[in-house]
Amino acid sequence: MTLVPSRPRVDRDEVFLEYTKSICPVCKAVIDAEVNVRDGKVWLRKRCRNHGPFEALLYGDAEMYLDIQRFNKPGTLPLEFQTDVRDGCPLDCGLCPDHKQHACLGLIEVNSGCNLDCPVCFADSGHQSDGFSLTLEQVESGLDAFVSAEGEPEVVMLSGGEPSIHPRILEFCAMARDKGVRTVVLNTNGIRLAHDRSFAPALADLGVKIYFQFDGLGEATHRALRGRDLRHVKAAALDRCADAGLAVMLVAAIEAGVNTHELGSIVRHGIAHPAVRGVVFQPVTHAGRHLTFDPRRRLTNADIIHGLVEQCPDWFRPSDFFPVPCCSPTCRSITYLLADDRDVLPIPRLLPMEDYLDYLANRALPDPSLRRVLEGLWSASAIPGTDAMVEGLGAALASLGLPDDLRTIASAALETCAACGIDFPATLAELTSKAFMIVVQDFQDAYTLNVRQLMKCCVEQITPDGRLIPFCAYNSVGYREQVREQLSGMPVATVVPNAAELSELLVPTRHGSRTVNGPAAKPQSTAVQVNLGRTLR
Amino acid sequence: MTGQQARASLPPLLQMINDLRSSGSDTEASVKSCCATVYGIDLVALFLGESYHPGGTQLTRRLADRLGLQPGERVLDVACGIGTTALLLAAERDVDVVGVELGAAQIAKARARASEAGLSHRSRFELGDAEQLPVDDGQFDAVVCECALCTFPDKATAAAEMVRALRPGGRVGITDIWLDPAKLDLELRGLAGRIACVADARPIADTVAVLDRAGLTIREVEHHDDALRDTIDRIVVRLRALRLVDLPALRGFDFALGIDVAGRLGELVDRGHAGYALITAVRG
Repeated sequence: MTLVPSRPRVDRDEVFLEYTKSICPVCKAVIDAEVNVRDGKVWLRKRCRNHGPFEALLYGDAEMYLDIQRFNKPGTLPLEFQTDVRDGCPLDCGLCPDHKQHACLGLIEVNSGCNLDCPVCFADSGHQSDGFSLTLEQVESGLDAFVSAEGEPEVVMLSGGEPSIHPRILEFCAMARDKGVRTVVLNTNGIRLAHDRSFAPALADLGVKIYFQFDGLGEATHRALRGRDLRHVKAAALDRCADAGLAVMLVAAIEAGVNTHELGSIVRHGIAHPAVRGVVFQPVTHAGRHLTFDPRRRLTNADIIHGLVEQCPDWFRPSDFFPVPCCSPTCRSITYLLADDRDVLPIPRLLPMEDYLDYLANRALPDPSLRRVLEGLWSASAIPGTDAMVEGLGAALASLGLPDDLRTIASAALETCAACGIDFPATLAELTSKAFMIVVQDFQDAYTLNVRQLMKCCVEQITPDGRLIPFCAYNSVGYREQVREQLSGMPVATVVPNAAELSELLVPTRHGSRTVNGPAAKPQSTAVQVNLGRTLR
Repeated sequence: MTGQQARASLPPLLQMINDLRSSGSDTEASVKSCCATVYGIDLVALFLGESYHPGGTQLTRRLADRLGLQPGERVLDVACGIGTTALLLAAERDVDVVGVELGAAQIAKARARASEAGLSHRSRFELGDAEQLPVDDGQFDAVVCECALCTFPDKATAAAEMVRALRPGGRVGITDIWLDPAKLDLELRGLAGRIACVADARPIADTVAVLDRAGLTIREVEHHDDALRDTIDRIVVRLRALRLVDLPALRGFDFALGIDVAGRLGELVDRGHAGYALITAVRG
């Protein structure tokens, strides 16, 4: 017997958390993936047999990632599905019957053309001659598919391209409203709002809400993300919105090292501006066209939340943000504030949020109707300025006993104390006008796609051929290229993330995004690597 | 009934709020505050919400456990407010409760809640003073008193009354704010004079001595200081919310002062100079 010198066994440097599926960011083949916790962060790792291993940061705070999984509500079935299950997720979009959630929000990209050529654009849009511009009939068929799936759809967001330059955009807005969509949102860079005095009032007449691209206040931010200093345009557009009474959400794309220092100033700017009802922070989606990036150093929701807390320590704590439970809880987090020029108070501090939005705990609800109210507010379809939001916030605050007492005061006052001049409806309106919403939304890309999360996505891209494709699948799996090719009749290259580690493989597309040429572009073996359907023996 | 005694009918932390409101000086604001004054808005509910004392129902249940309440026992709740503790004990521990309270409105509400909860047969609510309890001698197996002893002007008499109500071997369970007055800085001491619960709160050792002199044997003293911290935080948040909401009826209220004082009290708790305690004792 020989004595083998003992070798110490070594522990892995990570905790294995999930086994899931993703795609190869280069060839887009569906491959196995695992989710691990290392250094207090959550990572997705996968290996393509042709293109090797990839790893990307999924969530910058592992404790938060694990803690918020309980804010996950059972999905709701849509009235109908549009596709069949054939090859499995994410190749059957959609929605296929395996999808776990209905659509809270439907997006229609009405064109691919834009009056800007931003260095960052997940839609790869710009001044382009090879794009598409939807007809009224195409928009209608998309809307009809959405109405069939949802009955009374909650939100349709018209996007692009730049939807405001579509000559029929107002007709599209009216059509969506007339088909029973409760809230119509226009996603815009604001150039037309600034320059066309009639545009904001026309949108206001149609009851449209505005998602307004606004990445920060610094010139450098504008130049890095938009290629131009748009500060004056943005200011003029916001003022026009205020004049017209349009409710605006500022939508900020945040890129690591570019505008992460502007989180607090964006919120402050929003609170101070009369048109602005909230801010949506989106870590830049590394789909379409974007700056060179490192998928291990990308921003996640946790980084945005921690960054905002650092920049506004008197206003926020990480625990003020609660995940949206209708989609996967790590996709979107929201808080609401009561804010005026003296104080900013996160509304969740007033409410027993966990009692209502933790669906894994089996606890008796003190007030079941409050859960419905909070579900409405913590939802992808929650849009400031809508009646639903005014009522929701009113009901949430009523649970504090406030408006009940207000009502008592008001009715007593109206009877006998006219001198006080209390106007209860006005008080409630003023109250909700002090409400401010902050959304943090991380969209998945070809690096971060986690099929587990994707299967519960509630934000869908509506295509003219009547599909509802989960937005993150649309941007990363190849659907966007497929649909653009169909709509424009022009070939569209498969877009590959502009990751530094891929730079040797990448070549620019004609739209500014990156692709891969030659043999690397296609999976070399057609054999799928998951769901093989074979047994060991 | 003295003004001092009347205070005891409100949860003590909230007494602070009423006191602060009456300190509002601005004339125009005072005129606007007439609605709140005239119509007697339930400021207590407005500021504290459901939670009526530090620790809430969870601490009440712990108190019941520590007292070892048995089904069928007779329990007296001194300064019972709207009956939350008494009704919880009746419902969950199957005891017969009598609540005594100085405020007529609270008594009426407690009775209504008892009837709503189907607990009228297990509960009785009586208007009365903690220093002169309207009950016969030796009738109770246990006496509870939550977040109120600190507001009683004559704590020795209140303790003696509890002992009188108990049968020999009966138990007393108290949860209350404690405070080391020596640690109040001058400014806070000045403010504290306006806040009943802080002005009259004592170190735990003093309360223990009062109970001891009344003929009670102390069994346990537990610190629940975080519960007071949470309550203060909740009050601050609600004060801020109400200031943001900016009700015309509350414009006479000095929110900034209320928030400031609550914040300083919170710091006292953080530094270990104030807190909330659960004390049990037995009649020897």
